[in-house]
Amino acid sequence: MSTTFLPCGDYHQTYAQEHAWWQTKFIKGKMICLFLCLFVFIPLVANDYWISICNMVGYTILGALGVQLLIGYCGQLTLGQGAFIAVGAYVSTLLVLEFPWPQFMLDWGIAYPVSVLVAGIAAGIWSVFFGLPSARVKGFYLILTTMAAQFITVDFLLTQYVSQIGGRGQAFSLPAGTIKLGPWVIDSDLKVYYLMIMLVIVFCVVISNLMRSRVGRAWVAIRDNDISAEVMGINVVKYKLLAFFVAGFIAGITGAFWISNLAAISPEHFPWFLSLSLVGVILIGGVSSIHGTIFGAIFMVVVMELLQLAVMPLADTYPKLLMDFLFIKEAAFGLAICLFLMFEPNGLAYRWWQIKNYFNLWPFSY
Amino acid sequence: MVAKNRIKEGDVLLELEDICMYFGKVCALADINLKVRKGEIHSVIGPNGAGKTVMMNIINGLYHPQNGNIYYKGQKINKLRPYQRAKLGLARTFQKVEVFGGMTVLDNIRLGRHIHLRSGIFSGSAYIGKTAREEIEHRAFIEEEIIDFLEIEHIRHKAVGMLPYGLQKRVELGRALALEPELLILDEPLAGLNLEEVEDLARFILDINKEDRWRVTCLLVEHDMGVVMDLSDHVLAINFGNTILDGKPEEVQNNPEVIKAYLGDEDLYATRA
Repeated sequence: MSTTFLPCGDYHQTYAQEHAWWQTKFIKGKMICLFLCLFVFIPLVANDYWISICNMVGYTILGALGVQLLIGYCGQLTLGQGAFIAVGAYVSTLLVLEFPWPQFMLDWGIAYPVSVLVAGIAAGIWSVFFGLPSARVKGFYLILTTMAAQFITVDFLLTQYVSQIGGRGQAFSLPAGTIKLGPWVIDSDLKVYYLMIMLVIVFCVVISNLMRSRVGRAWVAIRDNDISAEVMGINVVKYKLLAFFVAGFIAGITGAFWISNLAAISPEHFPWFLSLSLVGVILIGGVSSIHGTIFGAIFMVVVMELLQLAVMPLADTYPKLLMDFLFIKEAAFGLAICLFLMFEPNGLAYRWWQIKNYFNLWPFSY
Repeated sequence: MVAKNRIKEGDVLLELEDICMYFGKVCALADINLKVRKGEIHSVIGPNGAGKTVMMNIINGLYHPQNGNIYYKGQKINKLRPYQRAKLGLARTFQKVEVFGGMTVLDNIRLGRHIHLRSGIFSGSAYIGKTAREEIEHRAFIEEEIIDFLEIEHIRHKAVGMLPYGLQKRVELGRALALEPELLILDEPLAGLNLEEVEDLARFILDINKEDRWRVTCLLVEHDMGVVMDLSDHVLAINFGNTILDGKPEEVQNNPEVIKAYLGDEDLYATRA
């Protein structure tokens, strides 16, 4: 995908203009509208149910951003992102619940933000550990090693050992009021929503900035051609591991954020299917595009939810539907990926790019 | 520039000493010696399978020879990884173009600046101050020195994978130049190009070598004898991993061994007929 064309009549005179975030007045206006919509309009209009859907979308975006970075930008196939989200969630939970914080830190609500950061770093390191084989293997073989991350972390370590800490059994419950950001107790869906929006914006900005600077270009180079990347002076192994660290860090933050939305966490929140569906998100949305991650997440969550709304009324007549809905959902997920791979292999982001260019170039065709 | 110890025009920039390379029991290179002097265009010729590309890969660090030493500016670089050699000022282009297909032309060339850029993960993710300034400075360099020089202004925002082969080769050359190398390895830069593109690229190679702005020493692997004989200061002819001759273009051109290697043994033809 080449870069987007500028609208007719708009042109740049300095490099700084071309490197700018919002290059035309129209884009500036559009983005301000988008932010107004996100921060004001949606919270005003949406009820609790739709806000919780939005949170789910945000969670999926954050989770898929790490996958996008690894698969889309660095070319390192991964099927274990769920494990690192789990690590983040568990580290954060354990820190908040078990760590002997000084009372003033609890009062000032510093404990949770600190735990989020620690969770990110811990998940990053854990991810680097499972990324080490990438120095030697690529493609399908790497899928297997990252899948091992999922089974070792969630099914073995978390289920068998970590969950037993404190003798609570399977789940850690998070009492209301434990998740506190400064003076701000996160106890409603709307507050989670604001936290989510902020995290999504920060990470989208971070990733897109990285992609237009030295580190991101090195990642893309490794994806496209690792031999010539190395010849051009890139330490391939270092940058691959760096990609794993950043992806793990994002996953850790995602997990730590997600506990603010949960009353209790257990290993069942992070099944292997989560890792798989995050890959599905970027396939549907469009590989190596941040727009793609967002579109994919919206598609995945909202379409599945609409499917539920569509199927549920039928449940009165066919009660079996109620029980089998999970399978219908998974079948729909598989079907969506198949159809996208067949008819729109570049994903929704490509469509978006075409539409944008159509209007930018209008009235000419190219 | 990257170089720590500067060396004068005409000094030995790169030296291969008794290089032996085996793949299993196949001897790809046997006791190859080569001295590339600064400021020259040194060509390597030989029939297919002679070991030319293996030699380039060894210089580059993609292969490690079983025997022999490689000196770059008097420093032994046997153990260095390819990316470390790039930092010393060694750049190359490939026989089969190895561009980054998904990136734009501009990004490909920007990537060539990798070793000259300083921003890391934190400043890169914020993209303010140093990183933003640095990106603009290097953008100016790329536009003025490379894109302008190679005449690829019209495609700078296109994805390289979509471009025709000739232009891809040009982008690859631009990427190597962005590294501001001291020694540029050109592995069959003219293969598969049409006459006009060959003339253009030969001109670029000459400019890179002779113009005061660049003065890059070139190590050229090529089959087009016309170009090789016109451009080179020295020519090394090899066959089946053995040196036939290292000398001036005229000597090589008139050497019966070289002619035999290229055209084949007449007896061999007789038996086949």
